[in-house]
Amino acid sequence: MKLTIAEKLSQEPKLWRKQLIIVFICLLLLIWSSTALKVQKTDGSGIAVALGIFKGLVHPTTSLLFGMGKTGVAYLLLETMCIALMGTIVGAIFAIPISFISSFNIVPKWLGIFGRVFIMAIRTIPAFVYGLMFIMVTGPGPFAGLLTMSLCSVGMLSKMFIEAIEDLDKGILESLDAQGCTFFQKIRYGIIPQLLPSFASTLIYRFDMNLRDATVLGLVGAGGIGAPLIFAMSSYRWNDVGAILIGLVVLVLIVEALSGKLRTKLMRG
Amino acid sequence: MMSLYDKIFKPKVYTLSNGKQVSQKRSRMPVILILTVAAILISAKVTGFSLTVLVSRISYFFVMLKDMFPPDLSYMARVWAPLWDTIKMSLLGSVIGALLCIPFALLASTNLVKNKVVTAIVKFMFSLVRTLPTLVAALIATYIFGLGTLAGTVAIAVFTFAYCGKILYENIETVEMGSYEALGALGCHPLSCIRYSILPQVLPTYLSTVLFCFEGNVRYASILGYVGAGGLGLILNEKIGWREYDRVGMILIALFITVVVIESLSQWLRSKLS
Amino acid sequence: MLPFLLKSEFHFPREKLITGDKIMINFKNVGKVYPNGTVGLKDVNLTINDGEFIAIIGRSGAGKSTLIRAINKMHSVTSGTLLVDDVDVRTIDGKQLRKLRRKIGMIFQSFNLVTRTTVIKNVLTGFVPDLPFYRSIFGIFPQEMKIKALEALDKVGILDKAYIRVDQLSGGQQQRVALARTLAQNPKVILADEPVAALDPVTAKQVMDDFLHINQEMGITVLINIHHVELALEYATRVIGIKEGQIIYDGPSNKVDDDVLSQIYGQKDGNDEPIR
Repeated sequence: MKLTIAEKLSQEPKLWRKQLIIVFICLLLLIWSSTALKVQKTDGSGIAVALGIFKGLVHPTTSLLFGMGKTGVAYLLLETMCIALMGTIVGAIFAIPISFISSFNIVPKWLGIFGRVFIMAIRTIPAFVYGLMFIMVTGPGPFAGLLTMSLCSVGMLSKMFIEAIEDLDKGILESLDAQGCTFFQKIRYGIIPQLLPSFASTLIYRFDMNLRDATVLGLVGAGGIGAPLIFAMSSYRWNDVGAILIGLVVLVLIVEALSGKLRTKLMRG
Repeated sequence: MMSLYDKIFKPKVYTLSNGKQVSQKRSRMPVILILTVAAILISAKVTGFSLTVLVSRISYFFVMLKDMFPPDLSYMARVWAPLWDTIKMSLLGSVIGALLCIPFALLASTNLVKNKVVTAIVKFMFSLVRTLPTLVAALIATYIFGLGTLAGTVAIAVFTFAYCGKILYENIETVEMGSYEALGALGCHPLSCIRYSILPQVLPTYLSTVLFCFEGNVRYASILGYVGAGGLGLILNEKIGWREYDRVGMILIALFITVVVIESLSQWLRSKLS
Repeated sequence: MLPFLLKSEFHFPREKLITGDKIMINFKNVGKVYPNGTVGLKDVNLTINDGEFIAIIGRSGAGKSTLIRAINKMHSVTSGTLLVDDVDVRTIDGKQLRKLRRKIGMIFQSFNLVTRTTVIKNVLTGFVPDLPFYRSIFGIFPQEMKIKALEALDKVGILDKAYIRVDQLSGGQQQRVALARTLAQNPKVILADEPVAALDPVTAKQVMDDFLHINQEMGITVLINIHHVELALEYATRVIGIKEGQIIYDGPSNKVDDDVLSQIYGQKDGNDEPIR
């Protein structure tokens, strides 16, 4: 069929109306959200703070940065790392049964949905709420922090565990069955080798994130580097702030690099 | 380091019945297990982890939880304003961060910028900003911008900037460069080449990433109130302090429903993008 | 010797010859040496006049690509003078280079289209350098450009596919979209780097017919890098043979015989053999 150019032009899909509506909606949303902004400080003290932090970063308190005592940055970072590690592990202990309960290829659908809603509820509660609640249980300090961390981790750990579980290759279980293996043997030789690499990789990834979140715990008095940070900031001791920030950033960068390498090694075997 | 391990624990040699020999390296598992257990023990000591304390006092946790239900429904009227604030903060912050990261992501892409020093510096800058926990950024922001939603928006923008930026430049670096070449050959300015060849290829993933980031930001935004950066966190903190747990329960339920709605919306939009 | 191949029917309306500036390309002692010492081009002297249809043949790695891409400075040469439209390509950059490239169209072996978008949008990108800033950011093309794009698609015979996504087309159709994009540019010269290497023989002939038509009806100079010697000799009026970066044959296509081919390819029957 021979078309003329004019006829073809009239066939052009008229997307511009739809696109215009989308753009209009987005603009409306943006204008609406900017109504929430209230500019508080117009006296220039904000800039003084920014400058102060910048100066503090450039001249950190070296005694604090390299100090080896309990108040030194090094010890606090160690404490932060330990909180993150324990939090990840305890979180995993909770997450494993919960994720099995939530996987559709293991349990009936209603149970799986219930499990997922449960996980979502756990995930939605903000970290500091857990923090404050656990402080009631264990008193302030790193123990509370670790428990908070574990509940926060359950959300992401479960999500990724569920993905790994639902990816399970049932064929291996079949062949083990055909060889005459018991239930536990099937789990040990069929399921665990499949799940272990991705579980371990997920744990390491979550540890990395927990390290960053653990600093926050100090803000609620749950140990780690957050408390000294907030004290230093409220006293305007910018050099101390600089020391703490530098230590924190360096630690996270190192852990990130290491964990990245570990995870690629795990995945490639 | 692995070869050192192999020198200390020599590989096991199996001799087959036909005389052939096969050597199998010793499993690394013992070392990994020992290191992991040691790390756990040290961490337990440092953090003061005590199973006895946990078991004996865990009831307090559940008591508080019980007090949250039934929630104080009448309080909902006072929850709306901070809830909208939280959503607005995350929306604006996400958009600002997402837009700002574009030029920097372009600079960080090795297939667009040939200068390796520039790309390395920009990539490092992204890493640096990403290591900063959002709450710490919000804290700093409250000192610079004062208490309130501006600080929260800035903190979210900063996090979104770093997160979306990294994903964007990683995406740009895998994009097909043929059409970029062709557009340059017909006389287009490099920026036009990017607009017409790179943009169409990365746009779906970019939008999907921004939506995903926004999802998470709504949850973060509720925490930011704790440092005074506006939103639900503020009243949440207040009510916990006053031990008005039924009101705390109300806030949490409102938050939960909001997050479910936004995440479903976002997932639906993202599925339409791919 | 060479099989006599039937040319397929043209299916385009006759067009008036487009007059205007004529471009001449002049290589004077041009050479290219790569940073690691490899010699890409050596002592190239060549004059290409307006309106010619030239095929460049030679073994893989002989320098065909380097030669053709030197003309629009996709590759830079390291010595000699390369005059394109009276401008030494070695001396220009930035805005001047873009202005020059506007007049030179390029067709690639792998088509180099934006596969996620529609055919018409790809052709319209040929107009982008002519758009004002605000239009080019949002991709709003004026009606006349859309019509010209459709006309270009009509010239290569795929008007009916205008609003279809490129990745749903066959290889031959995609190369024609690329051709339409180049035509939208209104070039004086078209450089084609192995345009038919990825196509089946029938489609390849169709695309070569398009090139021939563009050359004869629109007066555009065509330079094609090509592996298939038969196609080269059938369509081109002038053949340039390259071996190891040097031009060893430059003359009419009807004078290319077995001896010439064996010089260029180092074989008796002119078939391209993989480098051992």
